[in-house]
Parts: sequence; C-alpha cells; structure tokens
Amino acid sequence: MDPASLPPAVLECLDAVSRLEREEPPASRAALAARLGLDDAAAGERLGQLETLGLLRAERGGRLRLTAAARPIALRLVRRHRLLERFLTDQLRLPWERVHEEACRLTPVLADDVAEALATLLGDPATCPHGNPIPAPDGTLRPEHATSLDRLKAGQAAIILRIEREERGLLRDLAALGLLPQTKVEVDEVAPFGGPLLVRVGSARYALGRDVAARILVRKA
Amino acid sequence: MLSCHGEIARWKREMPTGLALAGNPNVGKSSVFNRLTGMGVVTANYPGKTVEVHLATTRFKDEEIGVMDLPGTYAIGSTSEDQWVARRALLDGGPDVVCVVVDATRLERNLFLPLQLLDLGFRLVIALNLVDEAWREGLRIDARRLARLLGVPVVPTVAIRGQGLDQLVEAALAEARAAAPRRATPRYGRDVEEAVAALAERLAAADVALPWGLPPRAVALLLLEEDDETRAWARDLPAGERILADAEAAAERIAAGHDEPAPIRIARERHGLAGEIAEKVKTRVCAPSARQDRFWRLTTAPATGFPLLAAVLVGLFATLFWMGDYLSTLLTALWEAWASPGIRAAVRLALGEGAAGRSLLWGVDAGVNAALAVGIPYVLTFYLILSVLEDTGYLNAVAFLTDPFMHRLGLHGRAAIPLVAGAGCNVPAIMGTRVLATMRERVLASTLVCLMPCSARTAVIAGAVARYVGWAPAVAIYLIVAGLGFGAGLGLNRVLPGRSTGLVMEMFPFRRPSVLGMLRQTWHRFKGFVCVATPVVLAGSLALGVIYETGLVWAFTVPLRPLVEGWLGLPAVAGLTLIFAVLRKELALQLLITLAIAQYGTGADDLLRFMDRGQIFTYALVNTLYIPCIATVAVLARELGWRRALLISAFTIALALLAGGVAHRLIALMA
Repeated sequence: MDPASLPPAVLECLDAVSRLEREEPPASRAALAARLGLDDAAAGERLGQLETLGLLRAERGGRLRLTAAARPIALRLVRRHRLLERFLTDQLRLPWERVHEEACRLTPVLADDVAEALATLLGDPATCPHGNPIPAPDGTLRPEHATSLDRLKAGQAAIILRIEREERGLLRDLAALGLLPQTKVEVDEVAPFGGPLLVRVGSARYALGRDVAARILVRKA
Repeated sequence: MLSCHGEIARWKREMPTGLALAGNPNVGKSSVFNRLTGMGVVTANYPGKTVEVHLATTRFKDEEIGVMDLPGTYAIGSTSEDQWVARRALLDGGPDVVCVVVDATRLERNLFLPLQLLDLGFRLVIALNLVDEAWREGLRIDARRLARLLGVPVVPTVAIRGQGLDQLVEAALAEARAAAPRRATPRYGRDVEEAVAALAERLAAADVALPWGLPPRAVALLLLEEDDETRAWARDLPAGERILADAEAAAERIAAGHDEPAPIRIARERHGLAGEIAEKVKTRVCAPSARQDRFWRLTTAPATGFPLLAAVLVGLFATLFWMGDYLSTLLTALWEAWASPGIRAAVRLALGEGAAGRSLLWGVDAGVNAALAVGIPYVLTFYLILSVLEDTGYLNAVAFLTDPFMHRLGLHGRAAIPLVAGAGCNVPAIMGTRVLATMRERVLASTLVCLMPCSARTAVIAGAVARYVGWAPAVAIYLIVAGLGFGAGLGLNRVLPGRSTGLVMEMFPFRRPSVLGMLRQTWHRFKGFVCVATPVVLAGSLALGVIYETGLVWAFTVPLRPLVEGWLGLPAVAGLTLIFAVLRKELALQLLITLAIAQYGTGADDLLRFMDRGQIFTYALVNTLYIPCIATVAVLARELGWRRALLISAFTIALALLAGGVAHRLIALMA
C-alpha cells in the first residue's frame, strides 16, 4: 500500500500506534488518545479507519497491534519523522525541546519525494538527533549497530542508546548518576571472570556490574 | 529500636534551629558533621530500614543548632533505602536550612542533588568541599558565580581540616533566619516548566493540604516524576483521580515530546542544568596530574589489582590477629592485675564464698574479662582497618575486583569486606553488611558471615585440632567450612525469593585520609558494638555461672546424650560445652578442659586422654559451624530482626550437626 494514498490523519494515528508499541507496550486506545490529544470517541473512530484498511487489529484486552501490512508504512513514517527532526535541529536550529513536537505535526503531510529530497539535503544522516536510527527509503530498518555495554572492551567509548526498562529503581538510580541515553561513556577497565566494568562519565567513574551493563544498550562512538 | 519518627520529631520540636547535612557519598559530609558536633550523637532508624540518620547538636556563638546527618545519596527520588531514608528524614524533620556538601572535583554530578532539593522548596547552603583537591587537580571554581547561578550561598570548605566551617554555619544561620525565602527555583526546559506550572496550578486550585507542606511546584514535579509516595498521597484525596489523571496527561505530553518517559526527561533536564552551571563556574588551569590516575589504575587493573588485593587481605588478617592478640593480652593482663582482685574481694565480702558469690563473679569478672579478651580488641582493630580502607577509597577497588565471585553467591563486590571481617569477629562483620542495599543481600551476606570462622573459633581450631591432631586436619576444617559456606551461599541464592541488584558504585580517587577522622569514625562504630554485645555477654556469663555453680550443669547432659553421643560420637559433657560456647566460641575449649578436670580429675587437661583425635576433629568442626555466639545473634536480631536471626541460627545448627555426624561416620570408616 502506498502511504501517499492514505489521509494524513490515518498516518498520524498509525505512527502513534507504532510508537506506543515500541515505547510503552501494550498500546491501548486510552494511551493513543492521550498521545494524540483526542477524546476516547475520536480515537476509536481513527482506530476504526485503520482496522477497515487492514492496518490494525485490536486484540483481546484492548491491546492494539499493527498488521504486517502496516509495518513498512510505519517505518517510512519513522524515516520521515526522524529526517524532519534532523532538518529542524541542524538546518532550522530550532530549540531541542520543540523539534519532536513539530516533526510529529509535519510527518503525516510530508510527501515521500520531499522526504527523499530532505535526506539528500541533509547528506543521508544515519540517526535522528536523539540518536535513533533512520530507516532506509524502502522502509527497512538497518540494524542499528546497537550493542550492550558489557560487550565493550577497555579503552572503547560509546553513547548510551537506551536502558532496557525492566526495573524502575535501576533506571532511576542510573539516571541520578547521569547515565542517561545520549550520554557518552568510556570503558576504562573490564574486570576478568565476568567482573564489573569501570566506566567514566564526565569527571566521575563508576563500577557497573556485568548484568547491569548488559541492560545498557550503546552505540560505539 | 527507637522509631525514627519519634527521634526526628523530638529533634524538630526541641531544636531552635535545625540544620540538615546532605550530599553525595564520599564528599566529606561526615567530616563536616564530625567537625561541627562532638559527642552525644543520637542515631535514629526508621522501622525496617537499615540506613541511619545521625542527630547531634552544635553551639555556634552561644546558639544551639540541631544537626541532622542524612545518609549520603546521589539523589532523593528513588525507592532505594538510602534515598528513601534521606528524603523521609528531611520531610519529617523539616530543617530550617539544608547544607549540601558538594565535591568540587565532580561538580556537575554533585549539583544534581541541590537542584532536586531546591525543587522541593528547601532553603540551601552549599558547602563547596574538597576545594584543595580541586586546586591540586588544576580546577578553579568561582564560588561567587556558583552562588549567583544557583541563587543560594556557597562557602568553599576543606572539611577534613575544618576550614571554612565557621563561615558555613554562619551562612546557614543567616539563610535560616532570612525573612523571605530566596527565589532559587531551578528552571528547566519550556515544555517541562509549562507542564509543571499547569499541574501546580491545578493543585493549588484543588484546595488541599499538600503533603509535608511542600509548595505546589514541588508536588507537581514529584507527580510528574512518578514518585510513589506522592502518588499514594494523591490517590487518597477526594479529587485524587482527577489530579492523577492530570499528572498522567502532563507526563504523557512530556514523554511524547521527547521520546522518553517524563521522570527520565526531568532527570535529564536537571543533569543538563547542573552541567551547564558547573561549566560556567569551572576553569581548568592545567591538566589533572596523570600520576594519581596511574596509581588508580594499578588497584583495578587485573594484573596488578589481584596481587595487591591478596597482599591487602593478608595484611588485613595479619594486622587483625597480631594487633587483636596484642590488645587482647594487654587488656586481659590489665584487668587481671588491676580490676579483677578488687572485684573478687568486693564480691567475697558482700556474698561470701558460696555459690551466689561465685556465680556473680562469672558475670562481673569472667564476663568482662571475656569481652576484653575476645570482642573488644578484635572489633576495635577491625574498625580501624576498615576506616583506613574506606577513607583511602581502596574499599571500592576491593568491591570491583571481587564482584564476579560474590555474584555467584547472589551478592556483589561490596559484600567482600564484611566477609573478610568475619574472620576477625562476626559481630562487626554483620554490622558491616549495611553497605548492601537490599534485605535479601544482607540476609545472604550475614548467613555467610556466620559461617566464617572468627578469631575465637580459630583459637579452638588451633588450640584443639592443630595442637592435638595435626596441622593438616586443622586446614581441612577451614576447607570444609569454606566449601559448606560456598554451597550454602549458592543454595540460599536459589532459595531466597527475589534477585540481587547489580553493582552500581561510584569509584573514588585515592584520598589522603585524616587520622583524626578515622579515629573518630572507629570510635563511633566501636561504641555501637560495645553497647550491643557487652551486656549480652555479661548476662550470658552470669547465667552460665549460676548453672555451673549450682551443679545444674550435669543435669543438662542427660537429654543431650542421644544427639551428642549417638549422632556425633562425642562425650556428653563435650556437647554441654558446645552449648555454653554460644557465649564465646573459644569458651568451648576452655570449658571442656575445666569440665574434664572436674570430671576426671587433674591431668585431664591433656585432651587426648579424654577424647580421641577423630572426636577432637568433629568437636572443632561442629563448634566452628553452629551459631557464632550470643553476641552475633543479638546483632543479627538488631540488624535483620529476630525472626531472621533465629532462622539463620537454626540453619547453622542444622548444618553443624549434619557436618559433624557425617564427619564422625567418615572418620570411623577411615579408622
């Protein structure tokens, strides 16, 4: 299905569901409504549209899932969104906190050829300003070369991509120490026998157990 | 245990001015506290929590100020025990001013906590500590500019030498008395501020009493940070559903705007602001010296770190035994020369030569002597060594290197030191497990500590097995105990519910410790031990004295026969000494010889006339494994609660009986 044939409202909704699935599964109608700033009825109506187009199915318990047909479209929307973010930050120098919002608004109305022109202008960037990978024009996601921190060797540096959200306590403790996504970490030492890693973040040094490090996904810098 | 709430509430009521000390771990907060306050520190606990808050008073220009020392934390938002206690104590105590001690060498990370405190609406004074170290590292910090940017007074200090502390207290008092609060509220990103402001407005309009008297902005931020306690507060309100829905919608907007959840976004904003402020006030005049860094690396690099660790551990043991033994001999000699004769004479004068007098002497003479001979010298020595390891920062290197091994046992590197300490005395070692974050880890570590042969048990192994049986069997006992301990650790790790938290620990550069600071720290801990253990030892000795002097002791051997003679193959009287050794483990051997003399007449002090080699081996093995001693049980109960203390004790008894029975049969087979 060509995304160009779909109305922007549908694309916006599709994009939102795909992001909910990625970021805060399970995606539900209430979460969708909150994200799009719609009331429950309006959200239901949009979801109905997606379902008739065969792009979405609602499972038991209200969990929303995109169908296989919707995935390439979702990825192309992701590409547009991330390209727009790059454009808004790099070219228009918009403040960091506004780019995401603006990109959300522009994504559904951007034509594919315009998106490609944008990509050429920006020099085919690999990631959005937040560090997330930009899918290819055909709607496939290149492997993002993410690896977990515990696979790094001493002397290597990396940027934190995300922390697997299993335990809130751990996430918060790491956040309090400044171990947040987009933070650069340098591995100073890796203890033998499956021991901890010694990482440097800014002027501070931390020992992170191997199991903790395994939950921190990074991109080599 | 005193409820913290009571202690802190009283502190709040009685102190005309209250000052709380906050700060990251290892920034010199304790130095500030120790310098400001003298003796008379009160320790407050929250029920079920192991992290403590210290309360004391200080006098400044004829004014009494209450000082509250919070646990060192990086933030106060998490559910982890130290952060929870720090926050609760702050909110319950409602100090007039909070003094945040920050490390000038790691300013950006350290400013996170003061920003969070400002968000909660506290009045702050910043102690810019370790400025001397920053200076040596080539860092210059513009304290005035920092004060302007944060909107709070900043006083450079070198707490370890007491520099700048007068100015600090003066600034704190001025801040506490200032009529109008400063407008020192951090400003974050536009969308976050908008969400916070909108939510704060709703809260203000809802016309409810905000928790702990916090300002609306603080409560709004806490709700957006998904703070459990604040959410629980909101849920109980009549309009709670709506407030929570508002908060969730606002959090959702922040999350949608940044592709990350609101609490993380807010943490990022706070770090960003902290970093920005730090960047503006910091000037680097020269590159930091690489010498320190290189030295640093030696302790954690595998090739040098492990040999160094081995050397340090051997040194620790050697010092513990040598210095402990020296102190033990010295104290015992002093007691016997100066105090004992007087006490004996006094008791004899008051109660005569009868059983009552002799029973009392067990307590007030032999009991005190026991405390002086076993607990006190080793504990004092261990605490001194611990202070050195801690204050130099080497403890962290130990944790770093031993983490993988501890991990198999469901623990992490921080448990290594208490375990090693257990070889000296289990009591301080169990207190030392406070460095572990969760109750699960503490139970695991404490159980393993209980299986660690302490110096008293070593005395029995040396005095009975090595002397009468040979050194190889003595070593075998250590190996068996180590194997059983490791097995117990593996098993418990499987059985206990939950999972252990991973290691997340800051590594500090080496610091030159202050001798005075270490001595004070040692004394403070030591006092805690003496208060817990000594009364138990005295009371136990007294009870033992009564049983022994009245002859009841022989009656007790009868029910022990099947177990001791049948299962362990030991003389029943030996079983009795095992029971009494619960007072002090090395008592087992002394008592065995005493009772043997009483039963078989003089000459029985040669143990081999009384028990064969196999029996001595079994005897020492059982003595090593079962509950360390009554003081340990008392400490276990204080630290983990009576239920857990009794469970651990029961476990060690079962293990000891099992190992003893098996050993007896194997020895019989081999003979």
